[in-house]
Amino acid sequence: MKQSLRSWLWRVPIDQEVDEEIAFHVDMRTRELVERGMDVKTAREAALSRLGDRARLKRTCLDLARKRDREMRFTQWFEEVRDDVKFAARQLRGAPAFTLVAVTTLALGIGANSAIFALVDATLLRPLAFGEPERLVSIWEKTEKTPRSYVSPLNMLDWEANSRTFERIAGFTPSVGGMVMAGADGNAETVSRQWVSAAIFDVLGVKPIAGRTFLPSDDEKRGSVVVMSEAFWRTRFNSDPGVVGREIRLDGSLWTVVGIVPKDFQLIGRSSLWAMRPITNLPPRVRAAYGLQAVGRVRPGVTIEAAEADLAAVADRLAREFPQTNKGRGVMLEALHDTFIGSDLRQTSILFLGVVGFVLLTCCANVANLLLARATMRTRELAVRTALGAGRRRIIRQLVTESLVLSLIGGALGMGVGAAILSAAPSLIPQGLLPPAVTLTFDMRVVAFCFGAALVVGLLFGVAPAWQATDFSSPQVIRSDSRTTTGGGGTLRGLLVIGEVAAAVLLLFGAGLLLRTLIAVEAFDRGYRAESVLSMLVDPLGSKYPTPESLQQFYDQVESEIRAVPGVRDVAWTDTLPLDFFDEGGFSFEIAGDPPLDDSQRPRTEYQVVSPTYFSTLDLPIVAGRAFDERDKRDGVPVCIVNEAFARTFRGRSPIGQRVALRPASSPEAKPVVREVVGVARQVKGRPDETRDFVQLYVPMAQRLSDDTFLVVRPKSGRADALAPSVRAAVSRVDKEQLVSVRNIVTLEDIAWEATGRHRFRAGIVMVFAALALVLAMVGVFGVLAYTVQQRVRDFGVRRALGATTGDVLRLVVGSAARLIAAGAVIGLALAAVLARLLTAVLFGVQPLDLLTFASVTIVLALTAAVATAAPAWRAARIDPAVALRSE
Amino acid sequence: MPPKTPNALLHGTLDALILKTLAGGPLHGYAIARFIEDTTGEAVLVEEGSLYPALYRMERRGWVEAEWGTSELGRRAKLYRLTDAGRVQLTAETATWRRFSAGVSKVLFAR
Repeated sequence: MKQSLRSWLWRVPIDQEVDEEIAFHVDMRTRELVERGMDVKTAREAALSRLGDRARLKRTCLDLARKRDREMRFTQWFEEVRDDVKFAARQLRGAPAFTLVAVTTLALGIGANSAIFALVDATLLRPLAFGEPERLVSIWEKTEKTPRSYVSPLNMLDWEANSRTFERIAGFTPSVGGMVMAGADGNAETVSRQWVSAAIFDVLGVKPIAGRTFLPSDDEKRGSVVVMSEAFWRTRFNSDPGVVGREIRLDGSLWTVVGIVPKDFQLIGRSSLWAMRPITNLPPRVRAAYGLQAVGRVRPGVTIEAAEADLAAVADRLAREFPQTNKGRGVMLEALHDTFIGSDLRQTSILFLGVVGFVLLTCCANVANLLLARATMRTRELAVRTALGAGRRRIIRQLVTESLVLSLIGGALGMGVGAAILSAAPSLIPQGLLPPAVTLTFDMRVVAFCFGAALVVGLLFGVAPAWQATDFSSPQVIRSDSRTTTGGGGTLRGLLVIGEVAAAVLLLFGAGLLLRTLIAVEAFDRGYRAESVLSMLVDPLGSKYPTPESLQQFYDQVESEIRAVPGVRDVAWTDTLPLDFFDEGGFSFEIAGDPPLDDSQRPRTEYQVVSPTYFSTLDLPIVAGRAFDERDKRDGVPVCIVNEAFARTFRGRSPIGQRVALRPASSPEAKPVVREVVGVARQVKGRPDETRDFVQLYVPMAQRLSDDTFLVVRPKSGRADALAPSVRAAVSRVDKEQLVSVRNIVTLEDIAWEATGRHRFRAGIVMVFAALALVLAMVGVFGVLAYTVQQRVRDFGVRRALGATTGDVLRLVVGSAARLIAAGAVIGLALAAVLARLLTAVLFGVQPLDLLTFASVTIVLALTAAVATAAPAWRAARIDPAVALRSE
Repeated sequence: MPPKTPNALLHGTLDALILKTLAGGPLHGYAIARFIEDTTGEAVLVEEGSLYPALYRMERRGWVEAEWGTSELGRRAKLYRLTDAGRVQLTAETATWRRFSAGVSKVLFAR
C-alpha cells in the first residue's frame, strides 16, 4: 500500500521518468570525466558512448516500467476489491435480516430464470445433438389439403435416387410402439420400439457405441435386425457387450441386435429399440402408404430452398409417372430443428422468458428498495467516510461491491433453486408435452447463465441506490441530530414500488387470459358420452391379408374375440379418433339435386371410416335416422352418416335420404362416390381449441377398408386402460404369427388430457410467476409503508398530540399506499392492453382485451394490497403521542 | 592500473552487486555505477546499457523501490532503495555466489 500510495502522489509520466534518469546519468558521468581532465565535448561523447544504443536502452526501460505500472495498478485494484468484498461481507453479516430477505428474493428470481433459460436453451438456442445438424432437413409431402403429410417409402427412395442436393434420405415412423420381448425368466415384457429405415443412423450421423448400425445389405436381405438404445442396454442388460450379435424374441419372432447407439439418438423418439423396416423391393401399392417421417442430409453448402426446388422437380416427375397416387403431391422442407421443436413450443418459450424476466426485474426492484432503505439509515456512516477522504466514486464502488456480493450469493443459491426445479420438472411437465429433442438439463450453460444474471442484476439494483446514497454534502448530515434522514430516497423507492406493481399487474393479466383459455378448452363438450374408452392402432400391414375380404375377416374375428373378453362392454373400429384430427377437410362434397359447383366452391368435409358399433361404443348419440348396421355391406347401397354441422348445410331440408357426391379433395377430377345419408350423429370436437364446428361424415368400414385402423374398446365399468393386456392378448389369439403391429395404446381421456396439456402447462407456469411477482410487489409496498411509518413516528405523534384522530392517521398511511398501487395498476393495465395482443396466438375462447380479466386482476390486486397495507397502517394508528415524542 | 580488458560481469552478478550497493542506503543509478567501480578498483566496469534495465526489472520484482529525491548536487534524481524482499534476495544471491566462486576456485587452483 505504501508503494502504491507513493506512486499515486508522485505520478511522473513513464516517458519523462526514463528520459530524465538517463539524462541525469549522462550529465553526472560527463562531469566526472571533466573533473578527470577531459574537455567537455569529449567527455560528453565518452559518457554517451558508454551508454551504448540509447534508443534501445530507452525502449527496454520503458517497456519494463509500463509492465511494472500495470502490475501495480492491478495489485492495487485487486487489493481494493478484496478489501471491499471483506467489508461488504462484514456489513451483510451485520444485517442478517436484510441479507436473508435480499438473498432469498434474488435466489428465487435467478432460480426461476435459470430454469426457464434451460427451456429456452433447449428449444431455441442449442443445436440438435447430431453431427453437422445444420445440414439436416425434414421432408414432408405436401398436398392441397395439408402442408405436411408423412411420406411414402417409395417416394422417399425415388427422391434420394433422383436428387442432386441430398447425400442421403432416411425415414422413421413418427410414433413409438411396443413389442413384447420374451425375458430369460419366461415372462414377457413390453419394450418400446420405433421403426426406422436402414440409412437413418447414417443420415443423422449417429455412431454406434458397440456393434454396428444398419447396412444396405440388411435392407436387401429384409433382415430382422434391431439397434438398441444405450439406456436400455445399460439398465436391462447391465451393459453386457455380449448382447451385440445376440438374437432376442420380439413379438414372437427372432431379431438380431446388431449394435448399441448413444442416447442422443432418442431425439427421433423415446424408444429402447429401433427395428429396421425394409424399404427396397416393396410392392407398388405401398406408394400410397404415407407413414414415414423423412429426414435428409443435404450436401455441404446447399441451402434449404435449393434442396426444396431440387426435390420439387423430382416430385413433379413422380406425379407424371404415378398420377394415381402422386398427382398433386409436392414436397415441403424445413430445418430438422424446427420439426423437432415445433412453433408452439418456441412461442411458449419466448412467452415464459418474457414473464420470468419481469419477475426478475421485480426481484431487482425489491432488493433495490431494501438497499435504498438501508442506505438512508447508513447516511451518517457514509458521510463520515466521505469526510475522512473517501471519494464519491470510491464509496459508490464499495456500495456496488456490496450489491454484487449479495447478487452473487443470490445467484449461487438461485443455481440450487434452478437445479431443484429442473430435477422436479420431468415429473411436473405432462408426458408428451416436450418433444424428445427437448431435454431440460442443468449444465454449465445454466451455471454460466446464473453467474451472468447475478452480475447484471447486481449492477441493476446496486447502482441507483449507491448513487442516491452518496448524493449529499457531508457537513449537514453529520451535524443533523437524527441518525437518519427522511425523504430523498423516498421518491425513488415510490417509483420502484409503482414499477413492481405494474409488472405484477401485467403478469396477472397474462395469467388471467391463459387461465380463461384453459377453462375454455377444458370445458369443451367432447360430444360423445362414454367416460372411459381404450384405443389402440392395429396395423395388419403384411402379405397375410392381401384382399379386402381377408382384411374384413381379420377385423371381424378380432372384434368377436375381444367382445368375448370379460369386462368388455363394446368394441368398434375407426380410422380416426376424436380430438385427433389434423386434416382440414379431406373430401369435397355436393348435395345431389343442387346445382353443380366448381371444385374450388365445393364444401369440404372430414371423412371418418367407422364400424357399425362405433356410435354405441363411444355413446355418441344418433340424433336422427339410424346408425350403421348389417345392411351396410361392401356391395350394399353406399351410405353415410353426417354430423350436425354437416346437416346444417342442407339448409332446413331433412338430411335423411339425401344423397351426397364425394370426391377426395386432392383429386377433384375423380369420379365421385354418391352416398345416401342414413343418419345424423351428434357433433364431436376435432380439436379442443377449434374455433368453429367442423363438418364431418362417417362411412361404414365395410364399404371402405384401410389397413391401419384404431380399435376402440369400452369397459363395462372402471378404467379402460385396465383392459389393455387382455385386449392385446385377444388380438394375438387371432394373429397367431404376430404379423400385426399393435401400438399407441391410450385411452380417449388421455388424448383429451394431452390435447389440453400445453394450455394447462402455460397457464400453470405463468400463474406461478404472476403470483410470485404479486407477492414481491406487495412485499415492496409493505416495505415502503412500514419504513415510512417508522420514519414518521414522531410526525404522527405530533399530529395525534395536536388532535388528529386515528382515522386521520390511517387515512394518511392508506392514502399514500393507495396512490402507489393505483399508479402501478394503471401503468400495468395500460401495458397489458398493449402487450396482450402478443398473446393472441396462444389464446382461445377469450379476447386479448378481456374485461372480466381486467376486473379480476383489479380485485386480486386490491385484496392483496389491503393485506400488505394493514400492518403498517395498524402500527401508525396505534402510535402513542407521548411515547412517540419522547423517542430519539 | 589493471589491464583494461572488458571485464564483463558474469551473468546474474549485476543484480547481486546492485542489491549489495543499495544495502548501504538509497542511491541514484549513476551513484550505484560509481560505487561499484570505485569499490572494485574499477576491476568491474558496470555496463550502463544493462544497469538501468536491471534496476527497472528489480523494481518490477519488488526488490527495490524508486522515488524522486534530490541528488547531492541539488538536482532532481530517481533514488533507489532496497526493500525487505530485496534484502532477502541479496542474502540468497550472496550465498549462491559464495558456492559458485568456491567451486570455480577448487577447479582453477587444483594441483
